[in-house]
Amino acid sequence: MSSFSKPNSNLTPPLVHTKQLNRVLLSHRLVQGGILLTLIWKWSFFVAANGIYGTIPLNDPFFPSWLQSATTVRAAFVTAVAAVGLNLSTSRPRLQWVCSLTALLCMTVLCIHQASYNDMTFVTAWWACLWAMWFVNHLSDPNQAKLLRRASFLSRLIISLILLGGASGKWTAEYWSGEVFTDIYFIDREFWVFQWLRSQFEPEQLRTIATWYSRKVVLVETVAGLGLWALPPRIAAALAILLLSSIALFSNFLLFSVLFALIGLASVGLLVPRS
Amino acid sequence: MLVIVMLIVTIAIWLLLMPVVPAIASATLHRFHLRTPSFAAWAMQFPIPAMYNFANRYKVEADQVSLESSPEMVPLDGRMVNHFPARIFTFADGRYLHLRHGEDRWLTIESSYRGQGLRTRFHAEPAEGFGFDLHRLDGKPETQ
Repeated sequence: MSSFSKPNSNLTPPLVHTKQLNRVLLSHRLVQGGILLTLIWKWSFFVAANGIYGTIPLNDPFFPSWLQSATTVRAAFVTAVAAVGLNLSTSRPRLQWVCSLTALLCMTVLCIHQASYNDMTFVTAWWACLWAMWFVNHLSDPNQAKLLRRASFLSRLIISLILLGGASGKWTAEYWSGEVFTDIYFIDREFWVFQWLRSQFEPEQLRTIATWYSRKVVLVETVAGLGLWALPPRIAAALAILLLSSIALFSNFLLFSVLFALIGLASVGLLVPRS
Repeated sequence: MLVIVMLIVTIAIWLLLMPVVPAIASATLHRFHLRTPSFAAWAMQFPIPAMYNFANRYKVEADQVSLESSPEMVPLDGRMVNHFPARIFTFADGRYLHLRHGEDRWLTIESSYRGQGLRTRFHAEPAEGFGFDLHRLDGKPETQ
């Protein structure tokens, strides 16, 4: 766990006026910005959820009581937003480290809390926070180009893993036939793509479209999950940003809450210096 | 960095084996239904990404569900949900939709993956004071 060791107090401040060091700081801030957007994209939903968890508690012995508590989920979420916001703006290494650790711990709580475990927003944010925890420990590495290459490689690995996770759970007949997406998206989802398709095609045609839509998703996630990490940094970054954005643009804008953290991670690849 | 890379590789191997190792798919089905034998074992799996995994159906009823289970599980007559189907009671939108009136509700969820299936029934019973007590009506997995 040496990656998480406290930063050396003799570290030089990261704000040094060279182009390469600014790329490093920019990488840090792009990822923090992505995490922040991930957390606040569904702000109105979380505000409504706050009231619901307070008025309709659900006692389930499966979860420890503190992980059913509305107070816990509120505190973890608000603290995470504050920590990421502060991390985005500060240039002090020790504060960056404290903020990164705080956000990672809060995301861990949100990933296992009864009220938020199912929301993939917090899983992608957790992985981005893990990346950030490693990165802030290296902000003052003397070889900044090497650091950016390593950071970009780690971000590609994380994005590939997230996509592979989506793919492997879809390697089943119900997705290959389009049955799942037909019910979730095509029948009655109020989103521009599906509303337009329903207005243009008969139900039988829609079912066929759903099948090919589903197969496209399975294939794209599989190929990207297996291969994105191995591509050159800039090409991988551009492809990942395009792919991740298209997932939300063509299925559900709310998915940006899951994807912004990954888009932030992907953008690190664009900052790797050309060798 | 090595620790993180090792974690990623371990999870990737887990995911790649899921289609061919029934025990891994079963563990994930139980994870989705909040039926992992212990909370600790369930919580350990949180970094494993699972977006839109499995075919998950759910049905919420106001009348008590039958506890009889047939040897061959009849597919559940319900709507699909993307992942973690128990969210229908635990997550904010479903909790509001189904439990805001403070009355008994029964939730049946069913997930299937490459021939394996798991069906779980929950009873949300109004608790003394306010809120609900969540009961699981069956403990053992049913396979298709």
